Amino acid sequence: MKEFTYVIKDPLGLHARPAGMLVKACAPYASTVTVTAPTGKADAKRLMAVMRLAAKQGMELTVTVSGADEDKAATELQAFFEANL
Amino acid sequence: MGFFTKLFSKQMDALCAPVAGNAVPVSQVPDPTFAEEILGKGIAVEPTEGKVYAPCDATVDMMFETGHAVSLVADFGAEVLIHVGLETVSLKGKHFTVHAASGDKVKKGDLLIEFDLDAIKAEGFNTITPMLVCNSGDYSTIKTHVGKAVTNADVVIELAK
Repeated sequence: MKEFTYVIKDPLGLHARPAGMLVKACAPYASTVTVTAPTGKADAKRLMAVMRLAAKQGMELTVTVSGADEDKAATELQAFFEANL
Repeated sequence: MGFFTKLFSKQMDALCAPVAGNAVPVSQVPDPTFAEEILGKGIAVEPTEGKVYAPCDATVDMMFETGHAVSLVADFGAEVLIHVGLETVSLKGKHFTVHAASGDKVKKGDLLIEFDLDAIKAEGFNTITPMLVCNSGDYSTIKTHVGKAVTNADVVIELAK
């Protein structure tokens, strides 16, 4: 299992577009990706679950990656978070 | 007999237009997030009236606090996102009035959101309203009915597992 934390920088938070991009970014990996926010916990491959977090700018997310390709997935997803959220 | 019934008369579930206007393919939405179906397959409506109605019997999964979008879980299982206009998240709730809350049970035709169509347009936003099935992958068939004027009485998406 791999884990990293990330604080949302997007002033509009994790709204529909970034949530969709996140789901798309997670889809190719075999690993399960879980995002935990102060508002709840979501399977990052399920758009509705990610949107339900209603995560806002400044909130800290914990991203947990678990599975066969967890090393690669965690490294690449961390870069995705930094670049997009 | 059951086998043939299943084979020949696939049960289709239906979603009606969330807003009155002109229904178009989602590929015509000038925003790649929608046009490339990143959020799911669906349709879009160019609204002629500022009222969003429930497209089917459903539970409100999340009413965005800005009122510009709402997600629903249909009683038949589809996860539906209705997004009023493009980039309208940045209005932060201005010109939107919500009429339902997360967790509410709604019936097809219940009013979910009202929006001031003219005011949103006047601020330079495109008011095209995509409706997407977020769990598109759960369905083998998704039929859309676009290219015509629609109201909440018209089916715009049919789905089968």
